[in-house]
Amino acid sequence: MSDPDLILYLREQIARRTELPLEEVTVTSVLIDIGLESIDAVLLCGDVEDQFDVEIDPSMIFEHDTLGAFADAVQALKAAK
Amino acid sequence: MTTWYLGLSTTGHDPALAIFDARGTLVFAEATERYMQDKRAWGVPADHPPHLAQALSAVGADPETDRIVVRSSWRNQKPDMPADMDDLMIPADQALWMWHVQTQAQASVGAGVMRQGFGGQMPDVKGYDHHLCHAVAACHQTPQNDAVCLVLDGEGEVGAAAAYDMTDRQLKRRWRSWGPGSLGAFYAKLTLLCGFDWRLGEEWKLMGLAAFGTPVPELTDALAGTIVVDRGRLRFADRDVVQSAMTLAASYGRRPDEPILKGADLAASAQAAYGRVADQVLQSVLPRTPANLVLTGGCALNSSYNGSIARRFDVASVTVPSAPGDDGNAVGAALLAWMEDTGTAQIPVGTGTAYLGSRPAPEAIRKAQTYSGADIITPCGEESAAKVADLLQQGKIVGVMRGRAEFGPRALGNRSILADPGVPGMKDHINRLVKGREAYRPFAPVVPADQADNWFDHAQAAPFMSFTLPWKAGMGAKVPAVVHEDGTGRLQTVTADANPWMHALCQAMGQATGVPVVLNTSFNIMGKPIVHSVEDAMAMFMTSGLDALLLEDTLFEK
Repeated sequence: MSDPDLILYLREQIARRTELPLEEVTVTSVLIDIGLESIDAVLLCGDVEDQFDVEIDPSMIFEHDTLGAFADAVQALKAAK
Repeated sequence: MTTWYLGLSTTGHDPALAIFDARGTLVFAEATERYMQDKRAWGVPADHPPHLAQALSAVGADPETDRIVVRSSWRNQKPDMPADMDDLMIPADQALWMWHVQTQAQASVGAGVMRQGFGGQMPDVKGYDHHLCHAVAACHQTPQNDAVCLVLDGEGEVGAAAAYDMTDRQLKRRWRSWGPGSLGAFYAKLTLLCGFDWRLGEEWKLMGLAAFGTPVPELTDALAGTIVVDRGRLRFADRDVVQSAMTLAASYGRRPDEPILKGADLAASAQAAYGRVADQVLQSVLPRTPANLVLTGGCALNSSYNGSIARRFDVASVTVPSAPGDDGNAVGAALLAWMEDTGTAQIPVGTGTAYLGSRPAPEAIRKAQTYSGADIITPCGEESAAKVADLLQQGKIVGVMRGRAEFGPRALGNRSILADPGVPGMKDHINRLVKGREAYRPFAPVVPADQADNWFDHAQAAPFMSFTLPWKAGMGAKVPAVVHEDGTGRLQTVTADANPWMHALCQAMGQATGVPVVLNTSFNIMGKPIVHSVEDAMAMFMTSGLDALLLEDTLFEK
């Protein structure tokens, strides 16, 4: 289970970038379906690196289709540090 | 049996190789373009078999018995950049070509090593983060234990800027920029709009031309607005903002067949905009108390900007390595390999020298003495600097190939064409007889480090010609061939310890003429890399207006 802070951070960032209400962005949201553009996905990776002190592989966000799956991948990176 | 650590620069452009020995000493570094005599050596493997064989032989490696650890300077292929943004800065066809060349460079790395022996197996080549390679290589050439290291270039795996903190020689990344937003790509685009070609490395021409123009305020504002700086990170502005700035820039641009000076105001505006954006990044990364700044990445070749940093920012020192571009990453990859293999966390302090490449082959010099047909051949021994000083005072132009080749784009006295900058008309004379390059471009001055203050305002140590500085009032008039249009010079400082021969030459010129300044330009003709072999040097001597050629300490005169 991912860190609630990480989940909330991702929901807020993605809601801001997709201009959706926060409650419509959940762990089960499919990032492409809710309109997260690839440039925003890339910029989000940089923000997550800064915020959570992890090193994200550039392709990672594109390999996980839901917010929750991406959060789990980030969590795994944190745990592996 | 011993272990060697081979670093390969594998960006597709400016391939290079570097070798550390088992003790963690950098024993060899050389760009592939020198061996190939092909500017930037686009698409040539960094482990090109005959070049690698020459390098391994130079360091005494034995592929039959020794172990080799091979590392590259790129970790993984970047997902495609949004094509529309690529088309705004680097034209899409050029970006696609570069992507193919880069992909090929990643795919083929290691085959050239396998060709040498080393068990006949394809080596397991791990790639290190591109900007980490830049940073480690730069810090290796930095004597201080603590520094802020800023990487600015065309592109890395995820972006084109990164900031690191070196604390007690240990490096930690503070942040890296993600997504499109690149000062290197910006400068490449403006190079194209000024009628030059970034693929040939002609960003120099844009920087040199800037001195002839005046920044246009509206244009400078628009260009600076194409890159948004957010806490140091770079991001291109929205598409319409970039597009309208580039449309305005194009109206000041020049086609390659138009007069050079037509692009001067655009060049000046581009350089000013570059500085404005780079300033914002520096302001973000520098602490409140003066720190040592290490600047690297291809953008650190912008000597005009570099030279302005120390006098405008509260920094303790500014260091730019001899090879801040992608060739230098070979050193970073090799050093990271040694550190990882030996469990070393601290970056060792290197010797600081840039003289890391091949030596002239003694046998080739002997053959040249026998067969060249030069009018006068003089073995000068320890008198070679004094003899060259005599020739320079007579207004002669002398090619020099001595000792190990420089690593990095600048000739620093070992692969140089030298002249007396005080001789009237010398700049045009060299261009007409030897270099064949555009008349507006400046030549560089070499000055003993302890006398640089007498000649330059805001003088600072500049062993690798990394800083363009203003000449002191009245001093430039004594050396007109090395004074640029805006009253500056791209200084090289020399010391008796680091560059004994060039230092002796400057001193000899100072004693004879009162001016210890020597004109130094790279030993090449326009469009070609700096000479590599004795045969390259001899061919240029024989087919140009060079008056003399010094091979080690043997002087050839026409």
